[in-house]
Amino acid sequence: MINSILRFGLIFILLILMQVLLLNNIQFSGYINPYVYIMFILLLPIEIPSWLLLLLSFATGLIIDFFSGSPGMHTSATVLAGFVRPYILRIVSPKDGYESGSDPSMMIYGFRWFFLYALLMVLVHHTTLFYLEIFRFADFFRTILRVLLSTMFSMTFILLIEFYRRGK
Amino acid sequence: MRNLLNFLARYNNLIIFLILEGIAFYLLSTRNSYHNSRLVNGVRGITHGIEEKINNTKSYLSLHEINENLAAENVALRNLLAKLSRRESSLFFSIDDSSHKQQYLHSSAEVIENSINKQKNFFTLNKGESQGIKVNMAVISAYSVAGVIVGCSGNYSVAMSLLNPDFKLSARIKSNGYFGSLSWDGRDYRYAILSDIPQHVLVNVGDTIETTGYSAIFPEGAIVGTVSDYEKFGGDFYKITILLSTDFKKLHFVDVIGNMKKTEQLELEKLFR
Repeated sequence: MINSILRFGLIFILLILMQVLLLNNIQFSGYINPYVYIMFILLLPIEIPSWLLLLLSFATGLIIDFFSGSPGMHTSATVLAGFVRPYILRIVSPKDGYESGSDPSMMIYGFRWFFLYALLMVLVHHTTLFYLEIFRFADFFRTILRVLLSTMFSMTFILLIEFYRRGK
Repeated sequence: MRNLLNFLARYNNLIIFLILEGIAFYLLSTRNSYHNSRLVNGVRGITHGIEEKINNTKSYLSLHEINENLAAENVALRNLLAKLSRRESSLFFSIDDSSHKQQYLHSSAEVIENSINKQKNFFTLNKGESQGIKVNMAVISAYSVAGVIVGCSGNYSVAMSLLNPDFKLSARIKSNGYFGSLSWDGRDYRYAILSDIPQHVLVNVGDTIETTGYSAIFPEGAIVGTVSDYEKFGGDFYKITILLSTDFKKLHFVDVIGNMKKTEQLELEKLFR
């Protein structure tokens, strides 16, 4: 128990630092803003109580908001991602169900499963985030393009990190 | 009562979700308007320590380029000074009155936090009320428009970047003086849109666009950019794409400009509205 709290605390701090110190400062073009901190919500244990999941999502979003000077934007997107996570887990569940007490990682459930799971979560999060940022439907298709391109980059980072974790 | 408890137990996730989402939307809605960026300002107090460290590293890495820019600016200023002092000496005025014709007050500042990839971009300066910075002062980077101050704390201030759809600037074509309204459309950080120029006006690619000074925020004649493309928009007006002369990706040293006669101008104008 203590062990896993420490482990997730470390993942949390590393992801937030990576987002704030590195990725928030990469200004590649107006269309690509990878948000990798959402990976923290992805990695939490499958059997985590929903209320804890929601509170952790809220805290994550709020901290990112403090650093990017946009109160509420990341918070609402991350809370929504935390809320739909149990449903997405149910949709992508493997044939023989989940092992009890396991983490949703590539090591246990394989690349295809993880890719699909991460893609759905990142899409939910990025769609909410970018539409909240622009706050109108006038540039609907341009925002979709931003969502898709950013999702591609976020997914690349998330898969790289996950491969690295598996390699260890 | 029992039904109520059953209901709460059954939907507790949804209820927690709605409460948290409500808080998030409350935060979102209170910061969205122009004047409520004070909240952003307060929040930034918490994180500016880290931002300052990031900025220190960045500015160390680009020292060479900054030096070159400063040297070029020095030369330009010296030339201007030489011209002005010759003109001054031919006039008669009281020596005691040092501000007899000074309308704009310049002070330099450093950008410590900046963004170009959001839809509503702000940047933070390392000077605030204690150094005489006030809300609604203009921010200029090497004679070209960068933004306007929207919030100040003791030692920091937040400026709304030109790269923000809420920022409307009165600008004109330098060669013929026709003016319109300039704003950013949220696409590319290098381009902005100038609208309200009637179609009988002659526009050429490469024409210089400058500020008008009607708003009493920006001094007249500050450069905005050059025309890069124009098309007919609706029946009467052009939609002109402007290549901005400020490179927002490299924004570092800026001038904050206060208009000392602004109150006088605004009060006079108020009488006729």
